[in-house]
Amino acid sequence: MDTDNKAVPAPEAVSATSAPIRHLELKAVLLIVLTVVLMGGFLLYVFYARGAFDSTQRLVLMADDSEGVYVGMDLTFSGFPVGRVRRIELGEDGKVRIDVDVPTRDARWLRVSSVFTMERGLVGGTRLRAFTGDLSAPPLPDGTVRAVLRGDATEELPRLLSSMKTILANIEQMTAPDSHINASLGNVHTLTERMNGRYGALGGLLGGEENARKVIASIDRANALLGSLSGVTARLDRTLEKTDQRVFGAGGMMDEAQKAAVQLNAALGEARESLKKADAVLAEAQKIASNTRVASEDLGVLRAEVEASLRRAGQLIQEINRKWPFARDTEMKLP
Amino acid sequence: MHGIPFHDLGARLAAWIASWRRVFEFGARALVMAASPSAYDATTRNVMAKQIYFTAWQILPGFVLVCALLCYVVIRIVVSTAVQYGLSDYGLSMVLRLLVLELIPVFVALFVALRSGAAINTEVTLMHIRGDLEALQARGDDPMRHELVPRVVGSAVSVVALTVLGGTIALLLAYFALYGFSPWGLTEYTRAIGQTFDPTVTLGLGLKALFFGLAVAVIPITASLEASREIRLAPIAVLNGMVRLFLTLTMIEGASLAAKYI
Repeated sequence: MDTDNKAVPAPEAVSATSAPIRHLELKAVLLIVLTVVLMGGFLLYVFYARGAFDSTQRLVLMADDSEGVYVGMDLTFSGFPVGRVRRIELGEDGKVRIDVDVPTRDARWLRVSSVFTMERGLVGGTRLRAFTGDLSAPPLPDGTVRAVLRGDATEELPRLLSSMKTILANIEQMTAPDSHINASLGNVHTLTERMNGRYGALGGLLGGEENARKVIASIDRANALLGSLSGVTARLDRTLEKTDQRVFGAGGMMDEAQKAAVQLNAALGEARESLKKADAVLAEAQKIASNTRVASEDLGVLRAEVEASLRRAGQLIQEINRKWPFARDTEMKLP
Repeated sequence: MHGIPFHDLGARLAAWIASWRRVFEFGARALVMAASPSAYDATTRNVMAKQIYFTAWQILPGFVLVCALLCYVVIRIVVSTAVQYGLSDYGLSMVLRLLVLELIPVFVALFVALRSGAAINTEVTLMHIRGDLEALQARGDDPMRHELVPRVVGSAVSVVALTVLGGTIALLLAYFALYGFSPWGLTEYTRAIGQTFDPTVTLGLGLKALFFGLAVAVIPITASLEASREIRLAPIAVLNGMVRLFLTLTMIEGASLAAKYI
């Protein structure tokens, strides 16, 4: 219970009196200065990091739902942040206005053709992303208002599940013992069994071996027919070749006819000459009645010549008729 | 077994409220005095410098070493966990939030509370028991101005200084642990800093460090001044002061977390 106040010296009093600290105030001031410098530097760095020294342009994204969007969130392009959400507010029309500050140096990635999406993954936060297909399109003007497209993995899940359910029900129906697909498979089985038989696929297609056999027999007969037909054609070919040779070949019918026509021409020319002469002689005979003996002698020679010419023409005609089946009218009219 | 009588409970509650009222009253007076430049004379400056020297300067090498070690361990754990869960994008942000915003301020406050808070508590209790403060007042000296407020200001400055230093170490270590000695992570790092330290969070961090610093001196001093003047009860005064300090630090941290995340 005894109190011995003097026995307990204050620790600071001891240290203060026993060993005076060198440059005490300087050290304290140094520490304070260091603290202030670090604090000021950090604050400046934070201001810089938050884009306080960047010149920015405004982009307004309109969304249906602001869930997961927060102030300071990034708008990314190809994974790189090109903007930061500055403000989120509910507009008069019930839509969410997301104000995004885009630093002027990054604004070149955003074009009028750019598309903006808001994606919500299963893990991690919401992401605002920009897609620019055509970088040569005109740049996005300051203060543009654009709608944001939404892609939400969790939102897709219920729809996915319901379609999965439908698909599974269909599969169940398909695989039931009395399902159409099972019946079809049974038919396929019968078909393949028939195909495995003696007449192969033909038996399967025609539904039995008997029919297949008939078809094969028909094919055989058709083959034989085709063989004899080819013989006929060969013969026909030969006949045609011979006819060709006889009619148009060297020494053929056409050749002979040509020759005969030339001879006939010559014979007719001769006959014309003879008739001219006869004409002249007759005129002379009429004029000169006195000289009848001379005239009758001349007439005898002329007659013999005319007869010879006519005989030759007659022979020629006969020859032509023999060689060429002209009209059977063998009568020859002379002037 | 008898329950605590109602009137006794009421008296306890009244004493508890009165005690906290004294804490806030002393804290407010100390703040007002600390904010008036005329209060700083040579004696005040000397006591304050001594407080800063013993609280912060003397332990600086050890503090830097321990802080770096703690930071490095936490950074490795957080970053590797984040990578394992495929959340590497959030690793840096998590490190910054965990270390700079929460762990380091609390670590510094506890460090200073254990070292200087306990010392101040003991010292002022003894001064109170010996009647030094009254003696000073009788001499025409203001004990508040020359003995108590310099300790409060010195502690607060020390806590803020150590927090800033620890935070800087954590920021540097986080960068090197994530990106190595390459300058190419700077853009991403700057972006993460910008996202994590929004104005409210930064202001909150500053206020938290300041409150920690004030609590570390104000609560032990108030606990000492309301102790009974018996030397055998001195350990109880120190014990009460330290428990109350610990509770206060926890409450400040809890309030800060609640303000940020609720």
